[in-house]
Amino acid sequence: MDFLIKAFQSAWSLIFGFDAEVYFIVWTSVKVATSATLLASVVGVPVGLVLALRDFQGKPLVMVILNTLMALPTVAVGLLLYAFLSRRGPLGDLGLLFTPLGIALGLFVLALPTVVNLTLAAIRSADPRLFVTCKLLGATPIQQAWKILQETRFAVTAAIVVALGRVISEVGIAMMLGGNIKGFTRTMTTAIALETGKGEFELGLALGMILLMVAFGINAILFLLQRGEG
Amino acid sequence: MTPAYSVEGLEFGYGPCPVLSLDRLEVAAGELVALVGPNGSGKTTLLHLLAFVETPHRGEISLFGAKSNRKNLLAFRRRVGLLLQKPYLFHSTVLGNILWGMKLRGISGARAKQSALAALDRVGLTGFENRSASALSGGEAQRVALARALVLEPDVLLLDEPFTHMDQQNVQRTEDIVVHLNRDRGATVVFTTHNPSSVQHLAHRILHLFRGRLAAGSPDNLFKGDLIAHGTVFDTGRIRVHLASPVAQGTCLSIEASQIVLSPNSAQTESPNVFQGRIVALSQENDQIRVEVLAGERFQALVKLDQAGDYHLGQPVTLFLETKGIYIF
Repeated sequence: MDFLIKAFQSAWSLIFGFDAEVYFIVWTSVKVATSATLLASVVGVPVGLVLALRDFQGKPLVMVILNTLMALPTVAVGLLLYAFLSRRGPLGDLGLLFTPLGIALGLFVLALPTVVNLTLAAIRSADPRLFVTCKLLGATPIQQAWKILQETRFAVTAAIVVALGRVISEVGIAMMLGGNIKGFTRTMTTAIALETGKGEFELGLALGMILLMVAFGINAILFLLQRGEG
Repeated sequence: MTPAYSVEGLEFGYGPCPVLSLDRLEVAAGELVALVGPNGSGKTTLLHLLAFVETPHRGEISLFGAKSNRKNLLAFRRRVGLLLQKPYLFHSTVLGNILWGMKLRGISGARAKQSALAALDRVGLTGFENRSASALSGGEAQRVALARALVLEPDVLLLDEPFTHMDQQNVQRTEDIVVHLNRDRGATVVFTTHNPSSVQHLAHRILHLFRGRLAAGSPDNLFKGDLIAHGTVFDTGRIRVHLASPVAQGTCLSIEASQIVLSPNSAQTESPNVFQGRIVALSQENDQIRVEVLAGERFQALVKLDQAGDYHLGQPVTLFLETKGIYIF
């Protein structure tokens, strides 16, 4: 028990003493997770919108693939991208392996199915009269899409927030594509795993507490969005 | 004069079976048409097709002489206004809702706002412009949706059951708006209702829709069934009606109420279209009595007011169907 209290005290002082290493790790995590989520939103929201509104041959297969990708283990994504980004891989010349950009790319692959699927679900659960109303008021397809996104903004934003929550808390991709390089690609999750393994419990605990606060913040945003929609 | 709508061989369905099947329909420019039919008869579907928000599976719809196709769909939609029975209002203010349609047409600024406020005034919602659309009652939302359609000055206005949930004052107001739009602006108006007697004073023409088809004759006695015996007999499953001449196809039977002769006595006759039944309802309708008789099917017949004393509830009666009042479609 004494050990736990001491660990908490040390973690507390690392956080409120604005320890440079801790905050660099937090910054790296936030940077790669937000950039990956942002890119996944730019690609995934329009794709989800089109999938929700258009019927085409092979749509059920696309849906099954998307659902499968949502349940994909992060280490599998990491492994696949490692094969592509490693020197012998087809994208090896880009030099992205063990860089923050490499992690962001992996997290983008992880976030994309989540954003697409949840956007699709958000739009499908919208009032069907919304689609008719947009058409009958004379909107072009682009104007319709923009209005539908405006009307489902709470649910679509919730999809993006869920994706952010997933990528900021994952460890497999960050470890495999980032390499956990101190001062460069070390993220909160990889640092927690490493420091705990080394017996440096305080740093791990401090980062764990920050990660918990980030998770709390994300859930608070989700709660507010759901309340806003109701 | 070019008709507002010309519909040919229209078929539409949500599954394999068509819910709407119209051989031909024309609505003259500037006409005010009431579309009457029971729930599920295809009234709303027809309005959606006429508003070009649904595409027919077969057939063609022409608007003012031009056939609809993928290229002109948007232009056609912008000439037609449709008021849904339960309209959808966007999650914004009342004014925001009305301005959006104008914004799509490139109208904005003070001119757009002025038109929107005038439209709100016409539907009796002056001062509502800054209210949240989600805070409105059902009736208010319907009037905002009407203002949203009116502000776009459509050539054709389609209204789905516009008077169903309105109080008398707003029914009158909406009727006045419809009449003004039709008479003064020359707009074509088509509206649906399930109560034909309430709109007789308003409509130039009343069309009856029954099970997705335009009903021939009167809507009083409409039955679904099949032609048998080489098209000489119509079988509803409960009764068989003999036709004057063979009919090639049709799944609906219409019998004019005025062509049903009632006899208070139990009559023995060789005539094929004679049915025995009993009276289940009586009501006065202008200078006539509407008599409902259960005789296999539920029939409605009309008798003169001075014969009212001959009929009472539960009384056994004989029905004679005049063949000239029988239609198959």
